[in-house]
Amino acid sequence: MTSIQDRNNVVTATLPRPNVEPLPIDLPDSAAQIWLYSGIFWMSITMLIGVVEAIKLFYPEFLQGVPALAYGRLRPVHINIGLFGFMSMGYLGATFYMVPRLTQTPLFSERLGSLTAWFWNFNLLGGCMGIMMGFSKGKEYTEIPFPFDMTIGLLVIAIAGNLFSTITLRQERRVYVSLWYILLAIIPFPIYYTLGNASKFSGIEDAIINWFYSHNLFGIWLTTLGLATLYYMVPKQVNKPLYSHIVSFVGFWTLAAFYPWNGGHHVIWGPVPMWVMTASVTASIAMFIPTCATMINFGGTAWGTWEIMKRDIGYRFSLLAYVCYVGASLWGTVLAVMSLNAMLHFTNMTIAHVHLGFLGFGVPGLIAFTYFYLERSLKLKYSQNLAEWHFWLTMLGIIGYVVSMGISGWMEGTAWEAGGSPQSTMLDRYPYHVARAVSGLIVMAGQFLFVWNVYKTVNYPINLPATSPDALEQSSVTS
Amino acid sequence: MRYISVFPIVVILSILFGSAFTGLVIAPGVASDVVRSPSVGLVAYSPTEAKGRKIYAREGCVYCHSQQVRNVKADENLVAAFGVSKAGDYFYDLPHFLGTSRQGPDLSNEGRVWRRDIGQPARDYLIGHFINPRQYNPNSIMPAFDYLSTQELSDLTDYIQSLGAWKDNVKEPLKVATAGL
Ligand code: HEM
Ligand code: HEM
Repeated sequence: MTSIQDRNNVVTATLPRPNVEPLPIDLPDSAAQIWLYSGIFWMSITMLIGVVEAIKLFYPEFLQGVPALAYGRLRPVHINIGLFGFMSMGYLGATFYMVPRLTQTPLFSERLGSLTAWFWNFNLLGGCMGIMMGFSKGKEYTEIPFPFDMTIGLLVIAIAGNLFSTITLRQERRVYVSLWYILLAIIPFPIYYTLGNASKFSGIEDAIINWFYSHNLFGIWLTTLGLATLYYMVPKQVNKPLYSHIVSFVGFWTLAAFYPWNGGHHVIWGPVPMWVMTASVTASIAMFIPTCATMINFGGTAWGTWEIMKRDIGYRFSLLAYVCYVGASLWGTVLAVMSLNAMLHFTNMTIAHVHLGFLGFGVPGLIAFTYFYLERSLKLKYSQNLAEWHFWLTMLGIIGYVVSMGISGWMEGTAWEAGGSPQSTMLDRYPYHVARAVSGLIVMAGQFLFVWNVYKTVNYPINLPATSPDALEQSSVTS
Repeated sequence: MRYISVFPIVVILSILFGSAFTGLVIAPGVASDVVRSPSVGLVAYSPTEAKGRKIYAREGCVYCHSQQVRNVKADENLVAAFGVSKAGDYFYDLPHFLGTSRQGPDLSNEGRVWRRDIGQPARDYLIGHFINPRQYNPNSIMPAFDYLSTQELSDLTDYIQSLGAWKDNVKEPLKVATAGL
């Protein structure tokens, strides 16, 4: 029996009226493309805004005087574009690519997939303009004002329906681990999203629900879609099966059991009932198990692939994403230890953790998928030279960002414990804030090369010769 | 392992998510009256304070200023001056402004530092500081809110002066060291 993954061609959809020319949005993978390219677009925008913010944090007069560009309005725009624009859209692109292949079934509706993508873009734009014009809901991760926030929820229901129908109608009966993660991402989302955005609780109840929602957003929406992509891509990149299916089984089910309990670790030592903290801290520390499972599984799969690493830049990005994912998760587990959280909560250490997650795991993961898509699916040759520069600039920028914020956070924490205050560490933070902005600029420069490279590759195509890596893929045994 | 079909996966995932939902969403509201009742002496926001609160949300002050004092070493000075924050202190807060970052100082007791009974000088300081923070602290990285109207600045000041102010009327007034804060 052939494996699930080695057939990279998707079955073409039977069109409603056969003699009618199909619309561009009905072609196979058109939804995946719109989602993916939109994700890359928003990634550039969120980085641009991130750099502006980063500069404002050491040179507050920068762009001063325009209310829409004030720090307190740009920051939620950065977050929401980062989460709902870049991460959600980019990885949904990967999802719309993976699902038809893993199920060996055409997408339930390409047209619905494409239309939801366009609608999502304009809706997000509207939501972010709303925040900049002063209509923010004012609570972290729920800033997008009505009606744009509820539209996101409705769109996810349409997207989930589309994907779920495809999975139900599947030809391939086996359910590969990527599909488990996708199911976890699409099923509970409408519940916690609506709860987080529409609930009208007040005070501490509001805070607990806010963090329940937010942590599910990072944990069982963005991270799961990202991991699904890595699980799909890495075995194909190294041309060998996943190290262990038992380990991915353990990793998945422990993640699904513990992640939704993590919300309370954002208010450790805060004015919430002790048992909320204890439950969440326990679950956060238990997250060590799925993290280790991921570490072992990808580590085992990647072992001894140095040759491929040198040749395939897309694969190198996968590994970078993998290392940063494990790093960010272990770091998160450490931050949830109550004594350490007492010192490091409220400092830049959280910012370092967040960006190791999103900038270190999210960005390289999506880049890896994009290179994979260009090479394996479109069978196009991208510029190795530009990609090489892209890789090193991105890596340098990520390290610069995380190290500078990590040191700054540690310094703040120790200073506060020694009786200092945020004001007394203002000057000490200055050099690190500058270093972070410079690192952000470096990452951005890298992404500029990337976008240019993708644009050139798609618009001025050079087809890969027959001996290209996808020939290898045909013989793969990666299910 | 890879032969499990979809339906059991969906059922188990729903159970796992449902248990976390019960634990972190339903239980805190139902089981805990600490969460659902106001602290003794807590005062609801006046109309202008509520307006100021909206401006605080709109301008994103929460991204740099927390509003909670924890019973930990890093907050030692705050605990000594103001005491630890309790769940009931936030009863009227919608949305909550607990915050996750301290690029600037904690504000949960700002109304006991720049007290209303100081009168005009306290208001002048707060408003002047909103308009140009670097006039008071040249190293400050707080944005200048010079685009707010006079009315907005006044409402925002009312809100800031309400923060924690009620606590002074509950117990014997604590001696608050305003110097250096
Ligand atoms: C060029 C790269 C980037 C730069 C320079 C940058 C800069 C910043 C800055 C200055 C902040 C505010 C930190 C503070 O409050 O002290 C921030 C927060 C944040 N950024 Fe970025 N960022 C970048 C990329 C990204 C990306 C790609 C994402 C993806 C989703 C992201 C997600 C976030 C999130 C979620 C927060 C909020 C963290 C929290 O509330 O704790 N950032 N970023
Ligand atoms: C096992 C995995 C993880 C654990 C146990 C964990 C734990 C934590 C903890 C304890 C905090 C709160 C820090 C504080 O405020 O003092 C936090 C914040 C955060 N984490 Fe994680 N983390 C994990 C993985 C991740 C990953 C992979 C991402 C991103 C893809 C992520 C995104 C975030 C964000 C955005 C915040 C900041 C929320 C805010 O303050 O606005 N986490 N995490």
